Amino acid sequence: MNMKAIMTVFKKELIDLLRDKKTVIVSIVIPLIIFPIMFGLMGRSVEGNIKKTSENLKISIKSKNENQLIAFLKSQKNITVVDSIDIKKDVQDGKIYLGLIIPDNIEESIKNEKSADIKIIYDDTSQNSNMACNIIKSLIEEYSKEVVKTRLISKGIDYSILTPINIKEEVAAKEKGGFGKYMMSLLLPLILIIYGMTGPMAAATDLGAGEKERGTLEPLLTTQAGRMSLLFGKLLSITVMGLIGTISSIIGLMIGVKAGASAFGGDIPLIFSPITVIMIGIFVLLIIMVFGALELSISIYARSFKEAQTYLSPLTIIGMAGAYGTYMIDAKNASTVLFNVPLANVSLVIKEFIIGIYNPLHIGITFGWNIVYIVLAVLFARYMFSKEEVIFRV
Amino acid sequence: MIQVKGLSKYFKNVKAVDNINFTVSEGEIVGLLGENGAGKTTTLRMIATMLKPTSGTALINGYDLLKEPHKVRSSIGILFGGEAGLYDRLTARENIKYFADLNNMGEKESRENIDRLIKMLDMEEYADRRVGKFSRGMKQKVAIARSIVHNPKVMLFDEPTLGLDVTSSKIVQDFILSCKNENKAIIFSSHSMQEVEKLCDRIVIIHKGKIIEDMKVSDFKAKYGQDLEKIFVELVGDK
Repeated sequence: MNMKAIMTVFKKELIDLLRDKKTVIVSIVIPLIIFPIMFGLMGRSVEGNIKKTSENLKISIKSKNENQLIAFLKSQKNITVVDSIDIKKDVQDGKIYLGLIIPDNIEESIKNEKSADIKIIYDDTSQNSNMACNIIKSLIEEYSKEVVKTRLISKGIDYSILTPINIKEEVAAKEKGGFGKYMMSLLLPLILIIYGMTGPMAAATDLGAGEKERGTLEPLLTTQAGRMSLLFGKLLSITVMGLIGTISSIIGLMIGVKAGASAFGGDIPLIFSPITVIMIGIFVLLIIMVFGALELSISIYARSFKEAQTYLSPLTIIGMAGAYGTYMIDAKNASTVLFNVPLANVSLVIKEFIIGIYNPLHIGITFGWNIVYIVLAVLFARYMFSKEEVIFRV
Repeated sequence: MIQVKGLSKYFKNVKAVDNINFTVSEGEIVGLLGENGAGKTTTLRMIATMLKPTSGTALINGYDLLKEPHKVRSSIGILFGGEAGLYDRLTARENIKYFADLNNMGEKESRENIDRLIKMLDMEEYADRRVGKFSRGMKQKVAIARSIVHNPKVMLFDEPTLGLDVTSSKIVQDFILSCKNENKAIIFSSHSMQEVEKLCDRIVIIHKGKIIEDMKVSDFKAKYGQDLEKIFVELVGDK
């Protein structure tokens, strides 16, 4: 193994890959634009939906006579009362967001200081219906508070007797933008791991199976550069390609979040501190190296491009399992045992970094394990590269 | 220059190459003749250190391929038939330069060699264009230049004219003869008797991993008669 040969291979592979439109599009352009497009559309449609529903609540009321509650609801600017023959069906069909069934004797019950039952019919599979249900519930709540107030006043009792405790909320997170950070701690590890895994894939396919398919591998093996120099040169360029892909996906994510900010509560920290970025970067790099080496090993085993792609696709699913498995785990209470689980550990450690936790034990365990994975993956690649049956498997 | 000593290669239980011995001297072209699967490519791959022999060894330019594979590789150039095996997205010059660099050549030496080869093979016009859209003949020239850029003492040709049209075959054959003029030791594997007759000084016929004949082309004709194609079929046919 010599350094000059490794650098020669590295430089050549990088030029070759960057000249390939397919690789550039798959591993750089798509990650860059997919999030802006996705979040942009999502943000717009969520925003549009909320506006549409909350500004024009189409409901239907079933009641034999007019009463004060109906008058109160009708007096709300954003409520339109629609006639409906079959409320249930209309709710299911989405013609109205919800239906209210108000008993005939409600006025009487209120006067007699009894309670009345109102039925709300809504569709819990519809986002609009759910939203309408919440709005109507709080309106009814408001109305019934008014009723209580009148009742208490008529008895000469102070209304505050009903609210012995007033709650004032204060957020205790160290830094501002807590909710946005929380959203990021859900999303970012997932995206980083998936991109860390899939980022090197196109390059690995091209540099292993692609080399075989083009018939360039054999001439390469007759040069003075040993197989290990070829392997390490290739690994290096795959890692760099993976890194470029991951960085472009992060940039895409940032742009996307900004474009669709309203979908995330409009409160997302776009800039992390340099130390956070560096720490996250280190761990993403580890993932890229592990998977880059694995993917190259598989790719060199495959006879052709197509075969390599078939063999590589299950790897994505394994990675997804690792990333999604930790999706809902709260970074503040993650058990140390979990940091021994491949992929999950990197996902958790990135989560911690995002919300500002730097736990030396967690970092140490995760780093140590990932170094072990890299060594194993590289040894595997080395084994594959030195096997005649693998190299000449055509 | 090339001394093959009891070289064998088994793939599981198949004896692809079975205890073969032959030599090639400087300035000599030896034709390695055999049917598909006779063991020609395996033999060449062992000589080029791509495959490890099961037993036996060979001396290439004085280096033992088991003990000094690195030095052996510096002494050999190899040209394959079929697809030229070039990088489509690199230019002709970059393709050649890549192999010069991998063969540990200095900047100045490799630049001079490449310029000389580009001139010699008449490639000036397209040397700096990407090879992806080259014709077969143009690609073949790039592959030729690549195989010889590091001035090897020994040249191995593995069915180099396979699938080439007449013009491209001619380019390759001329190149083989020019290697002979430069006093290189040359092994030329083929399954075409005609081509072997045209180019080679000596014929080694390999069949099912074993050498069944090894003599000068002129002696061969004296022993068996003029119609070499027919003789070849007779020699390998009934075994």
